[in-house]
Amino acid sequence: MNLTNKKLAGVLLLTFGLMPAFAMADGDPAAGKEKAATCAACHGTDGKSIDPSYPNLAGQYESYLVKALSDYRSGRRVNAIMASFAANLSNQDIEDLAAWYASQDGLKDIAIK
Amino acid sequence: MRFYLMLPALLLVAGEPAMAAGDIEEGRVKSYTCTGCHGIPGYNNVYPTYKVPKIGGQNYEYLVTALAAYKNGDRQHSTMQLQASSLSDEDMQDIAAYFASLGKDE
Repeated sequence: MNLTNKKLAGVLLLTFGLMPAFAMADGDPAAGKEKAATCAACHGTDGKSIDPSYPNLAGQYESYLVKALSDYRSGRRVNAIMASFAANLSNQDIEDLAAWYASQDGLKDIAIK
Repeated sequence: MRFYLMLPALLLVAGEPAMAAGDIEEGRVKSYTCTGCHGIPGYNNVYPTYKVPKIGGQNYEYLVTALAAYKNGDRQHSTMQLQASSLSDEDMQDIAAYFASLGKDE
């Protein structure tokens, strides 16, 4: 297949233009563990929350956790407790924390039974 | 003091009413639609793109609160708001009970 430079540029543009908006640099679970001391007070050291009104985070999808923390930070998702914690998080912090909780064993996909 | 005068105080002592428990079997039936997105491992929400959260083994109270927040508009997600809009309180409790139970069978 002969691609002119122009065509190649078009293909590359399409390829990268269609990449998910939430594709981010991978978080570091070890760094996330260090940063999760505050979170553990409610969500547990193992990602299993200390009270049923708080969600379990262990095993949750990393991209969902990134989305949730980002939404708390931006105010799109409203929760007084989470807003104050998320306000101080950098993008890297969010990715690291999400990677840490995603690496734990816990939540499951539901299957049609 | 007449007893009925003490009722408000008794209620205060009892604290917030415990959330009614849902019916797991009812929830299994009512959650059929949910599995279209939450039942596919790694399934992506279309935009913005992130994976549809796992809810098997999630806490009952959190799930009820989340569904109620979608229904009343406090929590934003077009698909979830639409789904939750047709759910009664009992539906939410049943569905939450079923999902919460899924983490306890292993």
